[in-house]
Amino acid sequence: MKMLDIALKDLLRYLRTAFLVVMMFVVPLLMTGIFYFAFGGQGSSAGFNVPVTRVQIVNLDRPPAQSSRLAFGEMLIEFLQHEKLATLLQVTIAPDGASAREAVKNRSAEVAVIIPANFTSAALTPGEGATITIVQDPARTLGPGIVKGLISQFVDGLVGAKIAASVVMEQFGQRGIAVQADTLQNVAVQYAAWAVAQGQSRGEGKNPALELEAPPRKVEPASEKTVVAGLIMTGMMLFFVFYTGAGTAESIIQEDEEGTLARLFTTPTLHSVILGGKFIGVFITIIVQLIVLLIASALAFGIHWGELPAVVLLSIGLVVAAAGFGVFVMSFVKNMRQAGPVVGGVLTLSGMVGGLFTTGIQNLPAAYETIQLLTPHGWALRGWKLALAGGGVSDVLLPALVMLAMGAVYFAVGAFLFRKRFA
Amino acid sequence: MNTQRAIEVQDLHKDYGEIHAVQGISFDVCTGEIFSLLGPNGAGKTTTLAMLSCLLEPTKGDALVMGHSIRHEPMAVKAAIGVIPQEIALYADLSARENLSFWGKMYGLRGTALRERVDEVLGIIGLADRQKGPVAKFSGGMKRRLNIGIGLLHKPQILFMDEPTVGIDPQSRRNILDSVKELNRQGMTILYTTHYMEEAQELSDHIAIMDQGKVIAYGTHEELVKIVGELDRIDLMISGESERVLEQWRATAGVHQASAEDKKVTLLVDDSNLVLPRLFEAAVRSGVRITAVEIAEPNLEAVFLHLTGRALRD
Amino acid sequence: MRIIDLAVKDLRQVVRDRKSALFLVAMPIVFMLFFSLIFGAQGAQRDPRLPVGFVNHDLASSVSTDLFSLLEGSDAIRPVVLDQKQAGKAGELVRDGKLAAALIVPDGFGQVALAARQPKLTLIVAADNPAGQTASNAVDAAVTRLLANVQIAQLSAEAFETSAQLASETERQAYLEQALTLSNAAWRNPPLSVTVEGAGATERDQPSWQNAYNQTSPGTIIQFTIYSLIMCAGVLVSERKSGAMQRLLTTPISRAQIIAGHTLGMLVVVLAQQAVLIAFSYFVLGIQYLRVPLAILLVAGAYALWVVSLGMLIGAVARSDDQVVMWSLIAMFVFSALGGAWFPLEFTGKAFAAIGHLTPSAWAMDGFQNIIMRGLGLSSVLLPVGILLAYAAAFFALAVWRFRFE
Repeated sequence: MKMLDIALKDLLRYLRTAFLVVMMFVVPLLMTGIFYFAFGGQGSSAGFNVPVTRVQIVNLDRPPAQSSRLAFGEMLIEFLQHEKLATLLQVTIAPDGASAREAVKNRSAEVAVIIPANFTSAALTPGEGATITIVQDPARTLGPGIVKGLISQFVDGLVGAKIAASVVMEQFGQRGIAVQADTLQNVAVQYAAWAVAQGQSRGEGKNPALELEAPPRKVEPASEKTVVAGLIMTGMMLFFVFYTGAGTAESIIQEDEEGTLARLFTTPTLHSVILGGKFIGVFITIIVQLIVLLIASALAFGIHWGELPAVVLLSIGLVVAAAGFGVFVMSFVKNMRQAGPVVGGVLTLSGMVGGLFTTGIQNLPAAYETIQLLTPHGWALRGWKLALAGGGVSDVLLPALVMLAMGAVYFAVGAFLFRKRFA
Repeated sequence: MNTQRAIEVQDLHKDYGEIHAVQGISFDVCTGEIFSLLGPNGAGKTTTLAMLSCLLEPTKGDALVMGHSIRHEPMAVKAAIGVIPQEIALYADLSARENLSFWGKMYGLRGTALRERVDEVLGIIGLADRQKGPVAKFSGGMKRRLNIGIGLLHKPQILFMDEPTVGIDPQSRRNILDSVKELNRQGMTILYTTHYMEEAQELSDHIAIMDQGKVIAYGTHEELVKIVGELDRIDLMISGESERVLEQWRATAGVHQASAEDKKVTLLVDDSNLVLPRLFEAAVRSGVRITAVEIAEPNLEAVFLHLTGRALRD
Repeated sequence: MRIIDLAVKDLRQVVRDRKSALFLVAMPIVFMLFFSLIFGAQGAQRDPRLPVGFVNHDLASSVSTDLFSLLEGSDAIRPVVLDQKQAGKAGELVRDGKLAAALIVPDGFGQVALAARQPKLTLIVAADNPAGQTASNAVDAAVTRLLANVQIAQLSAEAFETSAQLASETERQAYLEQALTLSNAAWRNPPLSVTVEGAGATERDQPSWQNAYNQTSPGTIIQFTIYSLIMCAGVLVSERKSGAMQRLLTTPISRAQIIAGHTLGMLVVVLAQQAVLIAFSYFVLGIQYLRVPLAILLVAGAYALWVVSLGMLIGAVARSDDQVVMWSLIAMFVFSALGGAWFPLEFTGKAFAAIGHLTPSAWAMDGFQNIIMRGLGLSSVLLPVGILLAYAAAFFALAVWRFRFE
């Protein structure tokens, strides 16, 4: 009973400390909220919320006299100025290459496009080549990427038509059949028409030959931004839960310095009961924090954390791991002056090694993913990601058990050291 | 007074490596009395109290508190005592009521009994109307009162008070001393440590004078003063450096002891009438002016000076 | 003179507090090293492209072989052939992040394609994450190229059949496959191409605009400079708590001088911190900070001044060390995120990017990136510096107005 009294007294004190409340609840939700707000609406193929890219385009193309009605440079410009692309591109014609480059340099445009003089000629004449130059703002990725993609699509249409004609010529030639000019022209035109139709389908987000299928998930996320939020919130939640483990264990050192620990030792209460009460306080506080974060993030960001049994199992593992790690770390701290840097430094480093700051980055090196598993943080991350993806008890059992085991060992060592100190 | 012994200290030692903080002290505290441990800083008072509170394990020796050994029955000892530490030991972010409730639980009080006792103690310490606000906003005096109140919650048989008046204003000190007397009047045995002679003199039934880990004298105030015998005590206020004249005065015939604190010099002399003129002559020779003279009965300060050659506050 | 004395006193205290000094400098270096190791290792992996599973049920056809070759030629993805057992779990492998996507080629795919019917491939992909999107785009490009070749082959066959007969189905098949081979080969040297340059890349002293750390380096500097808020604000709070502030006020020094003195001391510390981080980025990560040293100095100095002014404001109103840490951390997170220190604002929604560009941290990022990425000169940092100085002035004014001296 006294253990519980001590634990509840500690919980009350923690919840009255603005700093701890902010670190336990406000910061993780704020950080996730920032990401949620930042990337809301991103990632869906139906609509990319990208700022309009300003394009300066210079058409140096001089079509050959005999094919003056085919001016591919102008056609490219018309293509880029199409109303369907108006939400993505704002196209301006520049007088020359130098001024277009200058516009990108002085940041009045993100991209400059320079169509060379022999663009149409190269498209029609066998053996001739030409290169369109895109000059981009080096600090941009999306906008220039979109422009490059569109221009490449247009250019591929011309290239394909030319290749179609050359293939026909080659194959006819090998079989000793003469090629008529209008045969070549027909082939080129038919190819171009096909390319345009393909381009339109792809522009609507559908490749007619490709059926997209989502991987089997037991639970479908409410939206793409929920998935982003889920990953970010996982990293934040885990980091700040581990932080709470150490921050609350720090109260043992604090009470020692304030004299209340010594006073507790003068009451008819066993030392083991007193220390036990402090440790239980750590556990209870983390449990409260975890419940609040899980519910608040589910309500605010629509995150579905997974099947309830899996979430409960992982929660138990996480509480033990975080509390154990916190007690272990604080058992080496001599006084409150040391505590701040130790808590900040050790937790940041272990969070880094455990992968909590790179939850949104894909395709991490395999070696790093292995290193993460040296820490309880890494196992926590693995388990929670599985739960988010709809994993069940059998999927999360291993991470949960490892967290429990690691947490228990850390706790045992930390508790032993504390007992020795306050025997 | 009851002759039953509340505390029996038997040859208690506490060593920290080569440092002998407490060197074989023994004394008894009768039930219902106020017993003071008087001595300068570093004498071993707080260490003694810590051992009797079962915070520190003695290196050697034992003590019985209400018949229970501090070595073998610490829980029983703790149940019988209330401890008021020198430093304020409270939870500043909890209210006065919450502090008292929590500490009451640590002493085994629960439910209605706890609630009623908390109300009672709040009344005793005069904080009933401030019970809900956070302690962090209390004045120093209020915190001290709450600090004392916590020690009283479980109605202990013995109260340990470790220098409760250090660094506080005269009015608060007066209040504390009056509270101590009132608690004793109600039957509580009090073990009180201090380096203020006046407090020990005013409060105590028995006094043990400690210095450098040993009890150098023990008894009632009258018994202790008699150690000094028929000597007179002269207090002189001087202007000028005391070092210039102190050696001369120590060498003056009829002077047994002399010690200085700032501009005040205390001397133990055979006969103040005979010695005083000699002291004035020595002062003139040294170029020091005597600005005030007081001739008094020997006090505990004088006893300490006589036994150690040093002032109580050196 | 008193201002300088106060500043020197502050500096002495900071230097003696080795732990804080360690934090100010060691932490960001550790972060930068860590991320450079991660990204470096990522880049140095045997094949850093995203793995995409390839399940081929149409083993007899050359069309699916062509498709595999096209996937292998991609910059962004690499195909991984899945055996029978793995093929059955392709979806789970994608779900668990082991594969960015999985492409299933059905039996008869080649035949359907060459018969001018609608061939269908299945792509298992999580379109809601960046890796999935990248894989999806890359597969789409490869499939489109494949279909282009198939279309060319069909057009050639159809054209041929207007002039001559193809004796049998087998001959037709052979004709089509030859066309595919010719077409594939021709795409390897296309007559028309697109090339991309970074603006400023033609300058004589080229900034390395494709350095992967061009975002993380200034971003880390931005973030960890804000972290020094804890120290800046803490200096004031401790002085107030210890009573030294009140004592200072009994000497002939004005309140403004007190703030100025602390500002000077903290500015020196923050600038020193930035210098270490910039040097590290330059020598270890190869970021071109020293292209225009004066410009970098101006941006770093103006940004440091803003951070110190914010520190003074927090110190002015905070009542305890805990409050200092709390407000400083919140400021660090909010300004780093909004300023584009964690991720380019380009990738965020319009509203977020618009708000972000109002923040001093975004202007500082701009200033740094103008030099290290865009290859611009001194004039390009004048506007960011001006705005940072204006913010600093405003925060100082607020700090002086709100200052609590006891």
